[in-house]
Amino acid sequence: MKIAVMQFPGTNCEHETLVAVKTVGMEGALFRWNQPVAQLSRYDGYVIPGGFSYQDRVRAGAVASKEPVMDALREEAALGKPIIGICNGFQILVESGLLPGTGKVDMALAQNVMVSNGKIVRRGYYCDWIKLKHDTMPNRCSGSFLISKGALLQMPIAHGEGNLVTMNEDLIKRLNENGQVVFRYCDEKGDNVPDFPVNINGSIENIAAICNPEGNVLGMMPHPERAFFSWQLPPHHPKKHDQDSPGPGRQIFESMKRYIEARA
Amino acid sequence: MTQIILRVWLKIPDAEASTVRNTLVRRMGLQQILIDVKKERLFSIDVESGNPLDLAKSFAKELVNENKESCKILFDELKFEGDYVPVKVGLHIEDGEAISTRERLRNRLGFKNVTDVKKATIWKLYIAGDKPEKVAKEIAEWLLINPHKDSYEVLEKTKKLPECR
Repeated sequence: MKIAVMQFPGTNCEHETLVAVKTVGMEGALFRWNQPVAQLSRYDGYVIPGGFSYQDRVRAGAVASKEPVMDALREEAALGKPIIGICNGFQILVESGLLPGTGKVDMALAQNVMVSNGKIVRRGYYCDWIKLKHDTMPNRCSGSFLISKGALLQMPIAHGEGNLVTMNEDLIKRLNENGQVVFRYCDEKGDNVPDFPVNINGSIENIAAICNPEGNVLGMMPHPERAFFSWQLPPHHPKKHDQDSPGPGRQIFESMKRYIEARA
Repeated sequence: MTQIILRVWLKIPDAEASTVRNTLVRRMGLQQILIDVKKERLFSIDVESGNPLDLAKSFAKELVNENKESCKILFDELKFEGDYVPVKVGLHIEDGEAISTRERLRNRLGFKNVTDVKKATIWKLYIAGDKPEKVAKEIAEWLLINPHKDSYEVLEKTKKLPECR
């Protein structure tokens, strides 16, 4: 079971992602954006990590989405192989039309706008530990295959452009009806409070992650690879010093592995 | 009411414009007709009183980093010169940076006569051939905007204007 961890100019966390892939028992390798695209079909799954591909020039993910390697990934996605885009990887998937999966650019991840009590209290880049609620059924999506509906996960976010907006009035309704909203930002109790600091970027309906209609392509703003081991958790977390305990982000990679096994 | 327009560009190499040019040449196949790409930041500042030229120079001191940028000042009408197609790209959703700039000018710097600020990016596309505006439109829709947050306008170019410094 081989996973390609995609590497564009400006990607970060690719090595952490590779460690996560290998730790759950999959083979992994970095795949540079300018490698021969024919080599991509050798892999069973793909992760596009976060970072700032092409320094976010024009807008986050826009230039990377035009690379030939994304056309090749589109073909692999059509075969049902799993693709997980994390943060900038999510932005690239949106700009390339792989998400929400309508075959065209159907939404944008705009600059963060933090709203509280009807007032804008902050804008732009933000990083923090946040809570996520899994809002679709298990088995629905490759990256949350093993996660129960309603489960809460703690993960870090670090982005300036994660505010899901769309001019397509039916899109959000369709995403909800099809179970394509995978994670939403929530508070400690699991409530999707629309205000900052629960909704950390102003995203419509607190959406933090979506998948395509087939469920094999997942895009998420939070970073599971930065919450893979318990020692990566924030200082106050009770499991911080429990070296043997898995971090919540591990479930994303475990899910990807199980999804590939289930397809075989 | 006067609108003060600042056209601001880098006088050091503009890596973002180079990336756009490379992407259009290598990925959109425009090597035969795309000669160059340059970029400007655009501030449109509405003021309800005061000497427009003095105000414009004051705004330029705050919004333009003269170590790396140059600018032109215009009033009420956006004009362009040169052999390129200007494409104006701005947000059609709320522009937080423009609001922050307005609040900074009004509340931190005391320009209470500022009533509105709008920001945009001007992409200056040097295109050969007989249909440069059509190509510019295709470029805008292919790379320069995401229609779910951005809008664009292909502008007309006009005669040369003096620089502000």
